[in-house]
Amino acid sequence: MNIFTAMQISSSGLKAQRTRLNVISANMANMETTQTPEGGPYRKQDVFFEAVKTATERDSGVRGEKGVREVGVYDVAPNPRPFRMVRDPEHPDADENGIVLMPNVNPMEEMVDMMSATRAYEANVTAVKAAKRMALKALEIGR
Amino acid sequence: MESVGLSSLIGMANAGPGPQEGQAEKGGRGFADVLQSSVEKVNDAQLQADEAVGKLHSGEAKNIHEVTIALEQADISLRLMVKMRNKAMDAYQEIMRMQV
Repeated sequence: MNIFTAMQISSSGLKAQRTRLNVISANMANMETTQTPEGGPYRKQDVFFEAVKTATERDSGVRGEKGVREVGVYDVAPNPRPFRMVRDPEHPDADENGIVLMPNVNPMEEMVDMMSATRAYEANVTAVKAAKRMALKALEIGR
Repeated sequence: MESVGLSSLIGMANAGPGPQEGQAEKGGRGFADVLQSSVEKVNDAQLQADEAVGKLHSGEAKNIHEVTIALEQADISLRLMVKMRNKAMDAYQEIMRMQV
């Protein structure tokens, strides 16, 4: 509950958005991947966030301000949507009918998610800047 | 009248340091201790920022923002310390300027 709490919380937000961007990058990179270690084509991954106690609250056990929570990634899970079916008999992964299962990644959706992640990241950076401005303004008291 | 004035003065002289000592014992922290610990905290922040920059250069740090935020925190705590130092110096100089 000191002046740096806001910065720590924004830091968790920045970290979460970075994780999200990493997963989006993986989805984009594997847009056409037809083979995975688990077998079958690549499955789109989704990131899920949760509100967690602040770092100071976790470390010291002291109860922080009410309702003040950091963000954390609680799961990165595969999307259950069905795979795209493409007819390509020459493809090594094609079945007897010449159909290839392609990943259930929608590039348009990924682009929108990426923009949303970028904007959320920027918003967190702005929050850090605001926290710094407030701290510096407090130091100007009595000048 | 005189004796009343004197005794009340003596009473004040006796009472004066009493609660202060009690407070110091209770809290166990004088101004010097507070100053010491805050300077140590500022130093810790500087060291943390230093370490974070080192980690960034060696490729150990995975998040740039953690480094920049550590730098900002070190910056703000240093500014606060300088502010405290200026205030203490102002008070000292004010006392030294006093006509005796």
